[in-house]
Amino acid sequence: MAEFTWEDISIQVDEDGFMEEPEVWNERIALALASTEAVNELTEDHWKLVNYLREYYQQFGIAPMIRKLCKQTGFSLKEVYDLFPSGPAKGACKVAGLPKPTGCV
Amino acid sequence: MATKDRSYKAEKVIERLGKKLNRQVVGSLVGCVHCGMCTEACHYVLANPGDPTFAPAYKGDQLRKLFKRHYDWTGRVFPWWVKAKSVHTDEELEELKDIIFGKCTNCRRCSINCPMGVDLATFNRMARGLLVSVGIMPEGVAVVSKDQWEIGNQMGVLKEDYLETLEWMEEELQSEFEDDPSMTIPVDKEDADVVYSINPREVKYDPRTIADAAKIFNLAGENWTMPSEGWDMTNFGLFSGDDDLGGSVARRLYEKVIDLRGKKLVISECGHGYRSTRCEGPNWGQMDVPFVMESSVITMLNYIKEGRIKVDKTVNNESVTFHDSCNNARSCGLFEEPRELLNLVVTDFREMYPNRSENYCCTGGGGAMSMSEYTPHRLKSGKVKAEQLKATGAKYVVTSCHNCVDGLTDLIRHYKLDMKVTQLVNLVSEALVLPEKKVTIPEAAEAGLLAGKKILVVDDEPDIRIFFTSVFEDNGATVFEAADGDEAIEMARKEKPDLITLDLNMPGKDGGQVFEFLRKDDELSEVPVCIVTGRPELRRLIYDRPVRPPEGYLDKPVDEETLIRNSRKILELA
Repeated sequence: MAEFTWEDISIQVDEDGFMEEPEVWNERIALALASTEAVNELTEDHWKLVNYLREYYQQFGIAPMIRKLCKQTGFSLKEVYDLFPSGPAKGACKVAGLPKPTGCV
Repeated sequence: MATKDRSYKAEKVIERLGKKLNRQVVGSLVGCVHCGMCTEACHYVLANPGDPTFAPAYKGDQLRKLFKRHYDWTGRVFPWWVKAKSVHTDEELEELKDIIFGKCTNCRRCSINCPMGVDLATFNRMARGLLVSVGIMPEGVAVVSKDQWEIGNQMGVLKEDYLETLEWMEEELQSEFEDDPSMTIPVDKEDADVVYSINPREVKYDPRTIADAAKIFNLAGENWTMPSEGWDMTNFGLFSGDDDLGGSVARRLYEKVIDLRGKKLVISECGHGYRSTRCEGPNWGQMDVPFVMESSVITMLNYIKEGRIKVDKTVNNESVTFHDSCNNARSCGLFEEPRELLNLVVTDFREMYPNRSENYCCTGGGGAMSMSEYTPHRLKSGKVKAEQLKATGAKYVVTSCHNCVDGLTDLIRHYKLDMKVTQLVNLVSEALVLPEKKVTIPEAAEAGLLAGKKILVVDDEPDIRIFFTSVFEDNGATVFEAADGDEAIEMARKEKPDLITLDLNMPGKDGGQVFEFLRKDDELSEVPVCIVTGRPELRRLIYDRPVRPPEGYLDKPVDEETLIRNSRKILELA
């Protein structure tokens, strides 16, 4: 476990920079985490994606398939990767405060 | 049973160690003479020069001392001399876990550099299996193994979600190709020539690679399918050392292919999946596999060589280097095909040094990507890899392994390199020439296909020269022969052939020297050359030369049809 600080924020993250306590997530923390993902600004589209990820995670305890993500938010695959260059598993999940997805990712 | 001075788990580990010992493992356990050669070979050591606990021999000693204490006579007679030592507590097992999971990616670079032939990675994997059997393992490994056991794939993807994603990709393809009815992703088609298996991350997070592969199969006119079950070719049994899991996962895929009466199983670009499925699975699963297994790298290469798909390499004109995955290269011998394919789809390929079996680990192997607790070690150990990457000056690093993709991506970010990671399937897909109608080169059936062409056959074996000459002459070509390098150069100057077939292994001036000479000669540099060799490993003699790569390769033995098809292809492109 490590501590991640950004401006006035200080949170516990794992060694890959994912939140250890997803329940303390808030929008400022999302901004803080986005700064580690080469995403300098969170636009309305970013929030739409992030909020969907959070809702899905709160309901099912895992990250959604990219198929569900695109279908529900209306984004194309390319748009998702444009918003979060390191992809849905790493970039988007991290900013949404989800723990690191399991497996070969 | 726990005894009064040993925990239950420690007791079980010692007991099970005895059952795991076969001659190879014992050979590796007793063979080490602590010469230190492995230290230089390990990327962990290179990044932590003052810390002996990273040395492969030290890591090996942690299992070796148990073996000596309980299963080797030397440890019973003079344990203090051979450093024999038992294990008593769960805490000691946890410490062992941090070494065998956290300080080694099982990349086997030390194994091939050991003068005694000690395969540390083999018994490191075995030690992992022992700990896993008593429930001691990193959490990430436990979660993924559970999903693979219970749901059938390592990311817990449900069947309906998998199928829906394939449909989605099919729709995307259809819209790209204006409702071309041949652009499909067939599922569970029986008697297919190719059954395509993937890594769950492709379906769960980035199915663009599935669409790219489908595009390639369809344009090649392949009779292919994807299985509805057993489609996960990855295998955490390789990482966890659990042969039962390894066997179960591999069998699930094999049985599905048999069920579908598939002729060939093609494995997408994943190093550990390729090794597990093609090289280890039949052994773990105790199965005779009745079909061919092949990396998609080879499949794509053959499509291009056979003229089934056309590519335009000038589309990919950024500088590119190649990273050999440990499992593909060191463990399964996949060295030359990815390079040959790269040279067909990119204009600026630069070798990374060292390469092939001597390449350094991406740091993401052995399941490391799913063990966050060791990430700081991992990033630090990537120092030598980062230096290797940087020295190429390339903008892209290509690798045929998903773990390498992630490991390298992390290193590029950590060491602030200006590079991107990609895979061959993406580059091939980018370079595809999309024809109005599919372009295929007709089968070489009729005579006269090479009419008017002058071909120089260079080979020191008279039988090969006679065979090539008769095949070429039957098809209308005029043929000249040369039996060694000097004769080849003289003949090439005199006759100015349209094509040269060049053997590599010849007495005197070898094929590599002749090739470089031809390429540097003002008059002959543009003559297409097809390398013909019975020893594919010699191809590096060609790649390492500072000249344009050859137009074609053929492996001996060569059959008539392949010889004609390849020669025509080279001549048409020239």
